[in-house]
Amino acid sequence: MAEKIPSISKINELFQNKEMKPSELFEQVYETASYTESVLHAHLELFYDEGLKLSKESDKRYTKNESFGLLDGIPIAIKDNINIYGYKTTCSSKMLSNYVSPYDATVVTSLKKAGTIFTGKTNLDEFAMGSSTENSAYGPTKNPWNPNFVPGGSSGGSAAVVSAGSAVASLGSDTGGSIRQPASFCGVVGFKPTYGTVSRYGLIAFASSLDQIGPITNTVDDTRIIFNEIQGYDSKDATSITPEYTKLENKKIKVGILKELMQEGVSNESQNEVNKVVNLLKEKGHDVTEISLPLTEMALSVYYLIAPAECSANLSRFDGVRYGIREDASTSYEMMNKTRSVGFGEEVKKRILLGTYALSAGYFDEYYGRALKVRSKIITDFKTAFDEVDFILSPTTPTPAFGFGEKTKNPLEMYLSDLCTIPANLAGLPAISIPTGLSENNLPLSVQIMGKPCSDYSLIDFAESIEEMVEFNFSPNLLKENNES
Amino acid sequence: MSENFNIDDISNLASIELSKDEKAKLQKDLQIILEHVDALKNIDVKDEKIDIHPLSKVLELRKDESKESLKHEDAMMNSPETKDGHFVVPPSIE
Repeated sequence: MAEKIPSISKINELFQNKEMKPSELFEQVYETASYTESVLHAHLELFYDEGLKLSKESDKRYTKNESFGLLDGIPIAIKDNINIYGYKTTCSSKMLSNYVSPYDATVVTSLKKAGTIFTGKTNLDEFAMGSSTENSAYGPTKNPWNPNFVPGGSSGGSAAVVSAGSAVASLGSDTGGSIRQPASFCGVVGFKPTYGTVSRYGLIAFASSLDQIGPITNTVDDTRIIFNEIQGYDSKDATSITPEYTKLENKKIKVGILKELMQEGVSNESQNEVNKVVNLLKEKGHDVTEISLPLTEMALSVYYLIAPAECSANLSRFDGVRYGIREDASTSYEMMNKTRSVGFGEEVKKRILLGTYALSAGYFDEYYGRALKVRSKIITDFKTAFDEVDFILSPTTPTPAFGFGEKTKNPLEMYLSDLCTIPANLAGLPAISIPTGLSENNLPLSVQIMGKPCSDYSLIDFAESIEEMVEFNFSPNLLKENNES
Repeated sequence: MSENFNIDDISNLASIELSKDEKAKLQKDLQIILEHVDALKNIDVKDEKIDIHPLSKVLELRKDESKESLKHEDAMMNSPETKDGHFVVPPSIE
């Protein structure tokens, strides 16, 4: 029977007190997966045999009081664009349908050292390009709260497994909101750390100056525990930084409400969640003030030039020579053209073409160069804003989860679902989404909190205080239905 | 800016063969996106510098030292065709 999974700290307590074994928990999440997967299609692959074997090794460590720490024996799902040695990493693309990882991503190495058990690989929009998981070459994932709605994307599988209880937590990647938006749609916590604090080595690159790996969890404390394990400098990632995390001394926090994300284009339901949290913050004595960053309205345009430009360069490596599928042809040139035509889906082709155009001779300065300069202005604006406030509060998404096919006709409609999340990627900021309530349709709603670079731990602390204030104790229908049966 | 967009030229540059239907759909979608991003041309960026890293970190190269790394056969194990430790591809000259 499915039960809401306790927090990682609580599970660790159960393990330490010998009230539960890691192998029993692994069997429990696998049993949950065995019925939720037929509805959700959130995992692309489940690692039952190895997971059970490793969880029994974890059992022995707890028996001998020699566990590795809080994450020892915790079942975590990994987005299928992150390499785990010996397993497929398909990026939900036909192109990489036969690709087996020859090495571990740095985050995977860190979690293995901590004794984490991997439940499997989760579904995503192909190469992490999308906001609904409808772009997966292996079929969409469904939302555990209502399977007629999307789980968000691109880390839709990673959010759905946590929400459904078929993993205790998961890793996703966030280029324009791909952790926070699906976390919001599925009623769980999603965290995009400061750019450079978590190594991207072993993450299949989409847009290298924006991509960031982060956790999706049931609680903010779970996010803290996983972030703590995966963060830190890595010489294998040239963009990695040695983080000097800032601390907040004042208990009275200054919070800015971003005016540009509280206007037309953002639903009343989403705005109401922010207003609800504002009232709670004021009751606790925090300062809340409206701020304006007009260039935020340009963030979507900047993103849809920079991300495709970087994607067109990164995905040029898929040429049918070194990895992935190959189509037969009489010349190399013809083989590459045909392989890329067959291997990539429509959205990926669209973004490669857009990026190729933005980088092409005669248009580089006008498109890519200009977008980079506007990005610099946005970064400066955020720096100025953080001189006045500690954190910026906004909705995570303009609306709750939408229906399948609802936004596939016009690309801009889909892209607008990342309206609130993209600015943090452009400025490299840490940002977290936490669930705060339910919509009229009983779908989760959330708020997003952004902090200045390297304020990750104080941002997590502040998010945890909001989590305690809002007391979001709802469960998805999938769990409720199974408990009742 | 976007009136010069030619789907045939760009798909050729990107090495992606497109069907007739794909060309029509992608041309339409890309026009919509390019019209949207045109809004950026109204922003004054004359004196603005460019940072590739959002935290302005200068990208470093690792020291040129020999270290244990991915084995040759592991690096090639996903290739559709190899021979004697080399990638095999169709002829490059027609």
